[in-house]
Amino acid sequence: MKKILVACGNGIATSTVVATKIREKCEDNGVAISVTQCKLLEVESKAEDYDLLVTTGKFTGGDVNIPVVGAISLLTGIDEEETLDEILSYVK
Amino acid sequence: MQIVYSIFNTILDAGAVVMLPIIITVIGLIFQVKLSKAFRSGLTIGIGFAGINLVINMMKSNLGPAAQAMVENFGIKLDILDVGWGAIAAVTWSSPIIAILIFCILLTNIVMLLLKATDTLDVDIWNYHHMAIVGIMVYYVSKNVAMGIGATVIMAVITFKLSDWTAPLVEDYFGIPGVSLPTVSALSSIIIAAPLNWLLDRIPGINKINFEIKDAKKYLGFFGEPTMMGLILGCGIGALAKYPVSKIMSLGVNMAAVMVLIPKMTSLFMEGLMPISEAAKKFTKEKFKGRKFLIGLDAAVVVGNPDVITTSLIVIPLTILMAAVLPGNRVLPFADLAVVTFRVAMVVALTKGNLFKNIVIGLFCTGAILLAGTATAPVLTQLATSVGLNLGDGMITSFAATSLTLSFLVYEAFITKPFIFVPLLIAVFAGVWMFMSRYNKKRQAAAQVTPAVKGEMI
Repeated sequence: MKKILVACGNGIATSTVVATKIREKCEDNGVAISVTQCKLLEVESKAEDYDLLVTTGKFTGGDVNIPVVGAISLLTGIDEEETLDEILSYVK
Repeated sequence: MQIVYSIFNTILDAGAVVMLPIIITVIGLIFQVKLSKAFRSGLTIGIGFAGINLVINMMKSNLGPAAQAMVENFGIKLDILDVGWGAIAAVTWSSPIIAILIFCILLTNIVMLLLKATDTLDVDIWNYHHMAIVGIMVYYVSKNVAMGIGATVIMAVITFKLSDWTAPLVEDYFGIPGVSLPTVSALSSIIIAAPLNWLLDRIPGINKINFEIKDAKKYLGFFGEPTMMGLILGCGIGALAKYPVSKIMSLGVNMAAVMVLIPKMTSLFMEGLMPISEAAKKFTKEKFKGRKFLIGLDAAVVVGNPDVITTSLIVIPLTILMAAVLPGNRVLPFADLAVVTFRVAMVVALTKGNLFKNIVIGLFCTGAILLAGTATAPVLTQLATSVGLNLGDGMITSFAATSLTLSFLVYEAFITKPFIFVPLLIAVFAGVWMFMSRYNKKRQAAAQVTPAVKGEMI
C-alpha cells in the first residue's frame, strides 16, 4: 500500500481538504493508500517514510527523495482533475 | 407549542456537542447537501468539538497549576493560557447565532462582488470563523443580535478589501496568481506592518539594515516542530514551577501531546465542514460564471515559504521571551506558537524578505496580539464556558479571535460607545479605501507608461 504525505502550512485545514479529495479519488479507482497530514516545516523529518509528497503551498528547497506534487489546484478548483490524475499515477 | 418549546430546551441543555451537529446539518441542507452527508458532517463536527474539549481539559489540568506555581515562585504572571485558534474556532462554530453570521458573510461577499466592490470570491467557509467570532463576542456582551451581525459584516467588508489589496503581494512575492488570502489571521498583521514598514524605511541608518540567516532551519528548526515545542515549553514551565524532575518530564510529554492532539481534533472539524464548503463553491461558481475573480484561499498556502519559516523560527522564541517581560501581558503563549507563521507571512511579503524588518515588525505584531489577548480573555473565557468547554478556573485565549489586531479594533469599537466609534471606524476605513483606490490607479497608469518609455529608449 502506497503512503502519501500531505503537507500544508498548518497541517490542519488545507491539508485536510487535499487529503480527503485524494482518498476519495483513490477509492473511486480502487487503489489502496494511506494518507498522513503534516506541516510543511515537518516535511524533511518525515518524508523518507513515504512514497509521495503532496503540498498545498509552494514547496521550495529542502531535500526530499520522493516525488512531489503541488496541489493548490485542489483548493482553487481549477485543473483539479488533472492534479488528482497525476497523484493517482504515482500510487497506482 | 409546548412540545416545540420543550424539544428546544432539551437540545439547548444538551449543549454545543448536540447543537453543533444540528446547526451544521441544517446549514448543509440549505446548501443543498444530501441529508445523509449533511448529517455525517454535523456529527463529525460534534465529535471534533468533543475531542477539543478533552484535550483542552488535559491542557488546563496539567498546565494550569504549573502556571500558578510560576506566579508564586517568580512573580511571572502569565496565567492566561493560550489554547490555540482551533479551540476558539470550535467555540465560534458552537454559537447560537453562527448560522446567521455565516450567511451574512457569504451574502456580503456576493453583494460586494455584484457591486464590483471586491474581486475576491471567498468560499473558504472554514475561515469565516475569524470574522464571525467578532460578532459573537459583541453579541455576547451586548446581547444585541443586530450589533453582532453589524460587527461581522464590517469585519467581512474590511477582510475582503484587505484581501484585494494584498493580492499583488501574494502574486509577486509568493508566486501564486489569481488568488487572494481573506484569512484574517494573516491579514491582520498588515494593519501594523504597513505603517511600520513605511516608518522603518524613513529612519536613516535603520533603513539600510538587511541580513540573511542561511540554514535557519538547521539550527532553529525544532522551534517549528510542535512536538519539540510542547516538550521544551512543558519542561521549562515545570522547571519554573519548581516541580520535582519526574513531574517536569511528565508535564513536558503531556504538553507535547496537547500540541499534537489539538490540530488533529481541529482537522475533524475541517473534514466535517468540507461538503458544505464544496457546495458553497459550486453554488457561487455557477452564479458568477465567466466573471474573473480572485479565489479566496486559506493563507496556509503561503506559510511554507522559506523566508516566512526563517522569520517564524526567530520570532517564536523571541515572542516567548517577550511574553515574560512585556508590561501588561498575562498571556502564556503556547498552542498558537505553531501559527506564528501566519502572523508574519504578509509582513515578509511586504518587506520583500528583509529579515531585519520582518523580525522587528513581527514582534510588534505578536506583542499587539499578546496585549489584545490579555484584554479580551475574560469575555472570551466566559463565552467558551457558556458553550460547554470545561475550563475550571483560570482564563484562556489564543493568537486568533479578538487577539488579532483588526478583530480587536472592530470588537472594541462596537462595545465601547458604539455610536461614536463605529462611525469613526467606518470613516477611517473609507479613507483608507479611497487612498488605496487612488494608489492602485496610479500604479496601473505607471505600468502603462513604462513600456512606452522603454520603447522610446530602444
